[in-house]
Amino acid sequence: MALRELSSLEKFLELKKPNKYSTQGDKKVPVLQSSDGPPLVGLITIACNLVKEAKRSELLGDSAESRAVVQQWLEYRVTKLNNYNKDDIRTILKDLNLYLQDKTFMAENQFTLADILMYYGIHPIILDLAMQEKEQFMNVTRWFDHIQHYPGVRRHLPPVVVLKNRIYPSRH
Amino acid sequence: MKLFVSEGNPHCLKVLAALEETGAKCGVDYINHEENVVPFLSRPAIPALLLPSGSHLFSSNAICQFLFEVNGQETPPLCNQWLEWEATELQPALFQALYMAVVQGKGSEVSKVLQAPLNYLDQGLTKGNLPYLTGNAVTVADVVLWAALYPILSDSSLQLGEHKSVRSWFDRVNARQSCQSATQKVLQGKGLQGMKSYLQRQPAPQVNQPRDSQPSN
Repeated sequence: MALRELSSLEKFLELKKPNKYSTQGDKKVPVLQSSDGPPLVGLITIACNLVKEAKRSELLGDSAESRAVVQQWLEYRVTKLNNYNKDDIRTILKDLNLYLQDKTFMAENQFTLADILMYYGIHPIILDLAMQEKEQFMNVTRWFDHIQHYPGVRRHLPPVVVLKNRIYPSRH
Repeated sequence: MKLFVSEGNPHCLKVLAALEETGAKCGVDYINHEENVVPFLSRPAIPALLLPSGSHLFSSNAICQFLFEVNGQETPPLCNQWLEWEATELQPALFQALYMAVVQGKGSEVSKVLQAPLNYLDQGLTKGNLPYLTGNAVTVADVVLWAALYPILSDSSLQLGEHKSVRSWFDRVNARQSCQSATQKVLQGKGLQGMKSYLQRQPAPQVNQPRDSQPSN
């Protein structure tokens, strides 16, 4: 999964030469061999490096605060969204739904790498949601729909249908 | 800016040591393990940092990176790699080990759980052959990994085998004033037992993490 994400990210960043990746360990952690130094290990580490290589540092946040927020959600992605069990899914969706209530992107009003990698990571969960659940977690699906339509992001993933208007009556 | 911490919570070691190391200006509030200061999370997440903008950071590693950055030290790429390894590989093993040692009283089995990450770190340090993880100066990665490992490496009753490079690196970081001061604040010299009430409130670690929830592609 991580390797396809990295190759989609390379295309999004319009990097000319695709990298060759390998994996290590049971969790298939991605590894990038570099020509001029030690290998880079880990999805976040490699993704941040690709962003810098493409000279798109703004995707990592444009202030110390937003950089910290981006790093936090990148960590959330590889800790919470890489190893969840069924019981965790509702907590993840509930928390993200509340977090995204007043936000356009993961880091406030700025599109960043956190949106791209959170989108790739949460895609299997959203794909499995029933329409009624998609309504229940409206802020998550609104953000998700926004990111899947963001130019150049979706790549290897199938689009997920998200209804913009409620079809089930509100619970309030 | 305000930092929320609780006594006996090993993750608070990281942020308090980073705060002392960087000298960042920030108020510190001691709260209990059950208090939830991050409005959008269903479970309490401590430590947490309330930023000047009003948003919250709930990841101890992101808080440490932020404190170092506002002090003028950006996180170099190799640092990032150690932080990612700490969060994804070391933490699950450490939590399992601490839970076994403190809550379940199975200190003798801790070594088994920690061999792989300790060997990995030992190899990294041996290969680098530098006083600190990424060079000749302390970085955020040293503070975070020192704090993560402090509870188990400072307890002489746990038989963890020989990791020479880890041990000399650990002693070097451990000797810093910032680290000594953080351990006093969080564990008050009570060692592993100082974390008992925190660990008892955590859901038991899953020994075999489920792989079936992820599509295998």
